[in-house]
Amino acid sequence: MSLVAARIRAIPSWQVTLGLALLALGFLIAAQLAAEGPRIRYTTQERSPLVETALALQSQQDTLKTRIVDLRNSIQDIEKQDTGSAAAIKELNAGLEQARIAAGLIPLTGTGIVLKLEDSTQPVPPDGNAADYLVTAVDLRTVVGELWLAGAEGIAINGERLTTSTAIIDIGGSVLVNAAYLASPFDITAIGPSDLFSRLSSSPGFAEFVQTRRGSFGIGVSWAEPDHVDLPAFAGSVNLRESKAVPSPSAAAP
Amino acid sequence: MRDPRSQLAIAAVAFVLGMLVVVQLRSQTGGSALQALSTQDLTTLVASLNSQNDRLRSEIGTLQNQLDELRANRATGATSVEQIASDLARIRAWAGLDPVSGRGVMITVGGKINAEAVDDLLNELHNAGAEALAIESVRVVARSTISGPPGSLDVDGYILGDPFRIRAIGRPETLVGSLTRAGGIIAQLAATDPEATLDVAPVDEPMLLPASKRTLVPDHGHPRL
Repeated sequence: MSLVAARIRAIPSWQVTLGLALLALGFLIAAQLAAEGPRIRYTTQERSPLVETALALQSQQDTLKTRIVDLRNSIQDIEKQDTGSAAAIKELNAGLEQARIAAGLIPLTGTGIVLKLEDSTQPVPPDGNAADYLVTAVDLRTVVGELWLAGAEGIAINGERLTTSTAIIDIGGSVLVNAAYLASPFDITAIGPSDLFSRLSSSPGFAEFVQTRRGSFGIGVSWAEPDHVDLPAFAGSVNLRESKAVPSPSAAAP
Repeated sequence: MRDPRSQLAIAAVAFVLGMLVVVQLRSQTGGSALQALSTQDLTTLVASLNSQNDRLRSEIGTLQNQLDELRANRATGATSVEQIASDLARIRAWAGLDPVSGRGVMITVGGKINAEAVDDLLNELHNAGAEALAIESVRVVARSTISGPPGSLDVDGYILGDPFRIRAIGRPETLVGSLTRAGGIIAQLAATDPEATLDVAPVDEPMLLPASKRTLVPDHGHPRL
């Protein structure tokens, strides 16, 4: 043993350093090749430009939404300042404010909760379906439905306010909400009564969701109850091209 | 270690090591989940983002015109009662606070279908550009929920019979095309819910969709300034 130890001690320190560096190098090369694996499966000449186009379009969409919110704020400010026929304008503006709140066009703050859903970190078994280990549109819809049933009054997913026109759909392994591309983790923010989480957690439907998706597939489900939560305004289109508004005689207030 | 050749060797290895660390970190963080999508899914995603951006540009055009008109009225001292009233009517109709009428599509659903499948259908209609939806006499709004077992589905407290109708206002050709395309939602539901029948028909005459009976203004949230 002392002979082996003596031989090890005799190795120059620079050789030890070089050996360790080469070991790390080999590890990194292997990791890089492994990470490239799934992409090689899909690689085609048109694929890379498609990813770039999707990212560019999503970035354009963010800019367009910011512009919409700015324009709506400017319109709202001018409408509030209009004092002609004071009583009529005042009544209209009060109705407009309530309608905008009901439509989700105004950012809100209030009591509520934030739920976080995350893709599973568990390895997919050889006979498993990889999609089961990702957060899907159905997962988001299930949680959103449970929140509405528990008394939520406004919800946003990763900053996308849910409105009467919202679609939550899957495209491959990604999720579109209000036609915006969202990825895990998903923060579902809900405004509602102060006991919203207590109501949600006592729902058999929510308990089943957590048991199935977290218990069986390792989908991350966590929550927080901050002092207050903020919801952004909906920044999409409220244009009616095919629909004609029919005033409701009994609908003086929302 | 004083040998310059050994120092050079270590420097070269450290350089390559550093490069690989950077490449590895970038590949872990920068690629995003888009890298995992197939070419077909990416094409669908690009098409969806394109149409949404077109809708947003159109909305910006409408809002810009509205703002210009309001500013012009202010400059001339004219009132904007008509314009504010028109804005109010449009937002109330869009939100589901008032009834709406228009052409679109009617889907008659028969047999046993589960709540998740109906929810899929509604989401596809929204994604295809439907402006307003109703299931029987219930206007579908953000807070609407569909629950219950097949055969006794509950939409906002209304128990659906068999068959039941879903009506959507929007361009009939676009809505029908989107629902019935190969691999579309109707084809998917035929596979997942074989006991259900779904009949899709364009409606060119105006349909009247009711207002929601729900209270849509929150009690626990107030506008954030």
